[in-house]
Amino acid sequence: MPWYIYLALRQIFPRGRLVSPFFLLSVLGVTLGVMILIIVQSVMGGFGQTYRELIVDTNGHLRVETGGVDYRYRETVERLREDPAIRAAAPFAQGVVMLQHRQQPAFPYIRGIEPWSEGKVIPLDDFMIRGSLDDLHDDSILLSSVLARQLRADVGATVDVYTPLMLDQLKEDEVLLPRELRVAGIYETGWNQFDSTTMVATLRLMQDLYAMEGGAHGIAVRVNPGVDEFQVAQRLNEELGPPYRAVTWTQMYEDFLWVLQLEKSVMFFLLLFIVLVAAFAIAISMLLTVLRKTREIGLIGAMGGGARNLAASYCFQGFFIGVCGSIAGTGLALLALRYRDEIVSAFATVTGSRDVLIQFYQFAHLPAHYNPRDFVIIIAAALLLSTAAGFLPAFRAARLKPAEALRHE
Amino acid sequence: MSDVTVDRMEAVLRVRDVRKSFRSGTRTFEILNGVTFDVAAGESLSIRGESGSGKTTLLNIVAGLETADAGGVLWKDLKAHEQSPRALCRWRRDFVGMVFQAYYLIPEMNALENVLFPARLRGGISRTERERAAALLEAVGLSGRMESLPATLSGGERQRVAIARGLMNRPALLLADEPTGNLDERTSAAIMSLLLDVCRGESAALVLVTHSPVYAAQTSRTALLHEGRLE
Ligand SMILES: Nc1ncnc2c1ncn2[C@@H]1O[C@H](COP(=O)(O)OP(=O)(O)OP(=O)(O)O)[C@@H](O)[C@H]1O
Ligand SMILES: [Mg+2]
Repeated sequence: MPWYIYLALRQIFPRGRLVSPFFLLSVLGVTLGVMILIIVQSVMGGFGQTYRELIVDTNGHLRVETGGVDYRYRETVERLREDPAIRAAAPFAQGVVMLQHRQQPAFPYIRGIEPWSEGKVIPLDDFMIRGSLDDLHDDSILLSSVLARQLRADVGATVDVYTPLMLDQLKEDEVLLPRELRVAGIYETGWNQFDSTTMVATLRLMQDLYAMEGGAHGIAVRVNPGVDEFQVAQRLNEELGPPYRAVTWTQMYEDFLWVLQLEKSVMFFLLLFIVLVAAFAIAISMLLTVLRKTREIGLIGAMGGGARNLAASYCFQGFFIGVCGSIAGTGLALLALRYRDEIVSAFATVTGSRDVLIQFYQFAHLPAHYNPRDFVIIIAAALLLSTAAGFLPAFRAARLKPAEALRHE
Repeated sequence: MSDVTVDRMEAVLRVRDVRKSFRSGTRTFEILNGVTFDVAAGESLSIRGESGSGKTTLLNIVAGLETADAGGVLWKDLKAHEQSPRALCRWRRDFVGMVFQAYYLIPEMNALENVLFPARLRGGISRTERERAAALLEAVGLSGRMESLPATLSGGERQRVAIARGLMNRPALLLADEPTGNLDERTSAAIMSLLLDVCRGESAALVLVTHSPVYAAQTSRTALLHEGRLE
């Protein structure tokens, strides 16, 4: 072991004492920073991952659309289904309607689907919490869970549906008669925003409501497992040609995903300041040590210890603090994330804020996603900052002239 | 002392016409004004002088910790005054041992580790070094206190550890700056005879700075630093 590392380790773990309190406090600072960073980045990553999965689960990987109503969609669907990279393709139409049930109005997005093909693109079956997709016919609808609760409409209830087309009828002073539709089922995706604003009908019913007989707004596509949906989109754009356009799920939610990523990055930089402050604490405590040990440092120089190696001794201490803080911080973060549900519910019980939490974050459970890249970046930043914190004391120690240091009082 | 230079081949240290002055404000203090002396292997030289006469400064220049304004310092054949600080640092590790009035033990290490530290500066340590360190501690009468921390040792014991440390790398030259300055009379006498004995046993040349004419008389030669010159 080189002497400067030995010296550093002796200063950290002095004989006769377990560990130097300076070291312990410095490590604690780095530990806190690394722990908070990993927890927050993992939870933010969990939100991102959950949203990504929900986006794919509620939209499919791709949407093939013309930008308007496509009356040749049947051919295109057939063609897509023959593509070896594509697992399933399902046409859909979508729009906004007004719903009313017992004087309760709502204005959800409505999605018209083919019940037999839709399930292969969007796992609607898995989302059903009441009723069944099999009961969805041309005179019935599926409601999302929060929407159903708002309308106080359960399976079997009849709701009134008004479409934008009826506005034209109104202008011509015709009598406005809503479509009465039966609630065949209720679904829940877990995505609060989606669960409070959507409903599902058959494509035929939607064509009828929107007067677009034989047309669709687009085709939802799910690619086979292991296939890169972005390459498929590129290929489809070349093969299908205008007016068709293949839009990937990341393009559909580009802004949303960007904001999500931005939030995560901003959190990283803000929380990095904890590590930065910890680095200042390291620099101060080590500078104090150098001042306290001026005469010893002079002695080591007088005994033939080189200035560079002496500097390395202090840089190593900073680095070692970073290593210990990173290990402890990562360990504690993983522990906290492992028991995050218990921690959150304890927190919610104490503050009575569980409902607010769900509403705000839109998830009933705190998700976490462990991205090795986040870990590497966080630990690298912690090591870098704590090693850099050693530079100032190291520089000072190296600059001390042994003769002057030994005269130091 | 009439003859401060010994013209023998085995001279370990040759100091030639060393001059040093310090500037303080507008005034210049000539501290060393042409100091010349030799020390041979196994020999001991004591330097006395008033406080502020420049004894520590002279030792520092001999050890290469300070540079002289003029003159030369030779460690055997090595022109110490012409070496770069880095090279000198490496040479000093192997050539010079130092003992100070205030011991300067490293408080985080026990006695044995303190003695071993110079060997670490030179490279790794093995059994040979450990055995030598233990033997040195035994020679200074501390075989039972090897695991003791400096804080638990008395002043005299600390200075014994420091002497053992100074000799760890078998230096050809040991410089001792008032090694008994902090100790009572009885302990001082013991330390002084120990220092002389051990240096003789290790055949290291000793340059001893002391205030006491009694201890000075025990060395093979003695000199007085007065007005920048050795007399
Ligand atoms: N770096 C320096 N800058 C200015 N003056 C210095 C410096 N080092 C030493 N001196 C001066 O040089 C003179 C000699 O100092 P030195 O420490 O060598 O004396 P000394 O003989 O060892 O004294 P003592 O017996 O008290 O230890 C003193 O007057 C001191 O103030
Ligand atoms: Mg002095």
